[in-house]
Amino acid sequence: MFLEQSDIEAILLTVKLAGLVTVILLVAGTPIAWWLSRSRSRLKGVIGAVVALPLVLPPSVLGFYLLLAMGPNGPLGYLTGKLGLGALPFTFWGLVLASVFYSLPFMVQPLQNAFEAIGERPMEVAATLGASTLDAFFTVALPLARPGFITASILTFAHTVGEFGVVLMIGGNIPGSTRVASVQIYDHVEALEYGEAHRMAAVMLIFSFLVLLWLYARRPDAMKTGQR
Amino acid sequence: MKLSMNVNKSFGAFSLSTDFTVSGDCVGIFGASGSGKSTLVSMLAGFLKPDSGSIHLDGECLYSSEKRINVKPELRRISMVFQQHNLFPHLSVMENLLYGFKRCRKEHRTIDFDTLTDVLKLQGLLGRGVANLSGGEKQRVALGRAILANPRLLLMDEPLSALDDSLRFQIIPYLKSVSEQFAIPYIFISHSLIEMRMMTDTVLAFENGRMIEQSSSEQLARNRMGKSPAGYINLLHLGVPAESAGHFVYPWGRASLHISAGSDRAEPMAELSSKEIILFKQHPEAISARNLLKCTVRSLFSSGRKIGIELDCAGNPLVAEVVEEAVKELGVFPGVTVYAAMKASAFRIL
Repeated sequence: MFLEQSDIEAILLTVKLAGLVTVILLVAGTPIAWWLSRSRSRLKGVIGAVVALPLVLPPSVLGFYLLLAMGPNGPLGYLTGKLGLGALPFTFWGLVLASVFYSLPFMVQPLQNAFEAIGERPMEVAATLGASTLDAFFTVALPLARPGFITASILTFAHTVGEFGVVLMIGGNIPGSTRVASVQIYDHVEALEYGEAHRMAAVMLIFSFLVLLWLYARRPDAMKTGQR
Repeated sequence: MKLSMNVNKSFGAFSLSTDFTVSGDCVGIFGASGSGKSTLVSMLAGFLKPDSGSIHLDGECLYSSEKRINVKPELRRISMVFQQHNLFPHLSVMENLLYGFKRCRKEHRTIDFDTLTDVLKLQGLLGRGVANLSGGEKQRVALGRAILANPRLLLMDEPLSALDDSLRFQIIPYLKSVSEQFAIPYIFISHSLIEMRMMTDTVLAFENGRMIEQSSSEQLARNRMGKSPAGYINLLHLGVPAESAGHFVYPWGRASLHISAGSDRAEPMAELSSKEIILFKQHPEAISARNLLKCTVRSLFSSGRKIGIELDCAGNPLVAEVVEEAVKELGVFPGVTVYAAMKASAFRIL
């Protein structure tokens, strides 16, 4: 076979992780992006900077702080302990949570740009036609921002697929639970299994290239603006 | 419709402060760019919150800083037609038209979809997307969409300024007939005096965030004649022309006018500046101008340094302007007969 069973398992786990993170961020990132695109609050700069932090922070720094937060003495760890959910570090759900934070700007920023590009006027028009803010959001803003949603979802999915540092810090290397494709490649290299590493790396390379090719083919500046 | 606005709003160096009450179904808000028209309309529609004051429409309080009332835009039942059509590009013509209709409470639905689309000649467009409609078609769809929301007031914020002249004058009859036919009062916002006179009865004129005049659109045009470089613009409703010796002869009431340009419209209109009319006390012996009409002076009015002379030309009204000395020299007063000369090239066909 081209790929070993453990490789396929790692790829499936990666797809599951990236899919879940994308769905969670679509739900959680949309209101943040909307708020950032419309708010005139003084907090806008602070929130925008917090959202963008994963873009500049070394993954190990983010992973370290998330590990502390999820640990038994951290606020998240305390909360999950109280809720009877157990500890999150080195579990799949810990990995999901960490990936949500790590991929947050890849969802929020294209959406924010898409919402800003729509402007106020379509929402005002909808209001004069009797639509409430929520109604206008779902019937006007969301359809008009659709290209931004596609771009944001693809970038988030692809970025989650490619993450390594945070995964290693939070998830470790547990087969079937936290060993994703990037960690599997690392394992192959560590074990001097260069053939296996090559094959996995080729799959990742082709996947990433195809995603970007598709994005750029849709519109050359889609990566920058997240608009139609 | 009765609207009372007593509002104040400041942004940086600009401030708007106004207090007026206006009644009527065809009201205009007139002013140059930066006069505060759009700010006023945004506050009336509910997009912009005044710093202080109150807004009442037909007795209902839409905003009051004192009583802390600020009715949401979607609950005001004020539809709007904008300068740009602002159609929703992801919806078809039909879906755009029905957007407001579906959200209108059943007891307010008095406008029949088929009748409206018939009046606006939209029947053939219903299944189409909005992207490839012409500018005039888009504005008609936007108008239909606003009317179908069954508003109690329609705001038209410079709806013609994005259109070229020929389209502009094609759309005006739609704007008028739709709101009249469906009994929807409107406020028409524009910086064009011609549009004001064609669309409105009462006009509020704004300058630098203050209302400076409230009068009829005709009176506003007369008051501005003296300081406007274009003078007073006469709007002439003409008949179908016949070509004759290199120009066109248009029926104009009981008279006829020789005009350089032709028109293929069924009911052509022309504009003629009051500055382009030369008055003679007696019939001149010979004259190069192709139009010489015998008129009776109806009235005189002053505007700045100019005197406007309202004439009756074979039953048609016409306003000419002269300086005060000319009035004395001509001996003009109501009832006097004068001759008005106009070049064929002085008219502009609309």
